[in-house]
Amino acid sequence: MTEFIDVDVRPILRAGGEPFSVIMAALERLEPGEGLRLYAPFKPVPLFDVMASKGFAHREAELEGGEWEIRFMRDDGSCEAAEAACATSGDSDWPEPVVHLDNRDLDPPEPMVRILAAMGRLAPGQTLCALLSREPVFLFRELTKRGHQWRGGFTSKDAYQLTVRVHA
Amino acid sequence: MIGTSLCRWANSYFAVAILWLLLAEGLIVVGFGFPNSDIGGPDTLVIVHIVCIGWVSTVLCGALFQFVPVLVARPLYAERLTLPALALLTLGLTVLLAGFLALGGHFNGPPWLLPFGASLLIAGFALVVANLGMTLWSARPLPGPARFVAGGLACVCVTAVFGGMFSLVLSGTAIGAQWPDLLESGVPIHAIAGLGGWLTFTAMGVSYRLLAMFMLAPDGDARLGRPAWLAGVAALTIGLVGGVLALWRMTGLNPALLLAGASALLSLAAYGRDVLGLYEARKRRTLELNTRMSLVAVASLVAAALLAAALLATSSFPLHVGTIAFLVAFGWLTGLVLANLYKIVPFLTWLETYGPVMGRVPTPRVQDLVAERRALKWFVLFFAGSWAATLMLLIDAAFGFRVAVAVVMLATLGLSEEFIRARRLADVTGPLRLPAGAAAPHLLVSRN
Repeated sequence: MTEFIDVDVRPILRAGGEPFSVIMAALERLEPGEGLRLYAPFKPVPLFDVMASKGFAHREAELEGGEWEIRFMRDDGSCEAAEAACATSGDSDWPEPVVHLDNRDLDPPEPMVRILAAMGRLAPGQTLCALLSREPVFLFRELTKRGHQWRGGFTSKDAYQLTVRVHA
Repeated sequence: MIGTSLCRWANSYFAVAILWLLLAEGLIVVGFGFPNSDIGGPDTLVIVHIVCIGWVSTVLCGALFQFVPVLVARPLYAERLTLPALALLTLGLTVLLAGFLALGGHFNGPPWLLPFGASLLIAGFALVVANLGMTLWSARPLPGPARFVAGGLACVCVTAVFGGMFSLVLSGTAIGAQWPDLLESGVPIHAIAGLGGWLTFTAMGVSYRLLAMFMLAPDGDARLGRPAWLAGVAALTIGLVGGVLALWRMTGLNPALLLAGASALLSLAAYGRDVLGLYEARKRRTLELNTRMSLVAVASLVAAALLAAALLATSSFPLHVGTIAFLVAFGWLTGLVLANLYKIVPFLTWLETYGPVMGRVPTPRVQDLVAERRALKWFVLFFAGSWAATLMLLIDAAFGFRVAVAVVMLATLGLSEEFIRARRLADVTGPLRLPAGAAAPHLLVSRN
């Protein structure tokens, strides 16, 4: 079970400051088994490489207003173990998925067809969780068109976890 | 986590490009240009520019507008600039070709045709580079495959600048007269940057991601493509800097070209190893026609590299530049592009047609939009024709070359029909073809 230390860099960036040193300082204070939860006004892509070089995997979730919540965990296999905890802590406002799909070995675009077909059987507000072998860039446009919300990110090098909530 | 939408005009780019390819093949079949005329002559320049700009560059631009957003998970910077770019490229090439024809004495054209055509082309490529460049810029730090595209975009700028300068020299303007030696030393730079940097390097980068995507191979390894990238950048830098130094008579041209060639071979070797690795690591055991044919195209590239090395070793390279160029342009680039179009066109058509109703009604699979057995014979003809044509050039058989290119042209026509059939959903049968809520796609424009 990963405990997360929160770092919110949104006020620093809004004030025109540079949050990198704050993030690094927080990183040094982490105890074994602890992760870092970062709140940012944009997706801090350059930081991902820096954190990866320090041995941290990340999971990302888009918040309202284009803001992002990124969870950094030590990339020692604990990431997958912490998966359940991550899902409950970050997605507390979303109900537990009623459908789980493992689409990692399906030929594209079969993963997309299966997810959309399963979504059609869910009630408003219900969620579905799917594992994929890559980021489903062409699925997102269909989800957007249908008004569904989604959260997703790589949980390891070749597994992408996607949670979709049916438009309520 | 931004969804990728369909580029409205990608299919228009593909269609215009294929028309240019058919024109080039037709001209060769009737005996226009090399080897029936001088390799550096105006008629050959017509063919070379139809193939490199009209066919490969146009198709590559269309594919990049669709797939650079996939490479970097960002939307295209400006979708509205894609159609003006296509218009400028097409018009610019037409005027440039008229300039070459006038230069070759086929008609009495004004001297400004070449620089005017070049300016239109530069404007078209500037729109393409700006659009893709801004898309890449928004996604820094760039993932591996996207770096190849960035390198290719830098190279198309170099190619265009040199092309523009040549147009001033060839048309006999006062500015051009100041660079009497430009053509001699500048042409290798123009060709290296165009064929090597823009066309080959970009195709390598895109193929890394597309091959992995369509074969379900893991492409998350950070080392994937790195040796190919480093050696390729070294080759291009040495070739371009060495070429420019030679232009100012500070060094000879040949040592730089030899070093660049060696680095290019290293880069291609690393790329070949990576591609084979992707094929071996794939989860999808049965290879589809497009991935099998991509492999044949890569084999053509390897053959071209080996042939070039053999010709260099026997000092007969300058005699056979045309042979190598043909194998690179047709066996490798054209083969790779046609193989990938065979996947891309049905895939985009499928997404456009069935995306809106997917999950609500039964839909066909992407594979149902194509008939691989029928298409296979066109691909076999295409590669057999390309290799036969290369052999004919090698043994200096001009008529045999034309016959072989006629076979290539027939194969191109056959494949064009396959693409049209995919757009028309002609191979999808029964009620699955157009389920309720799905609209038949237009031939050239996508609904996005």
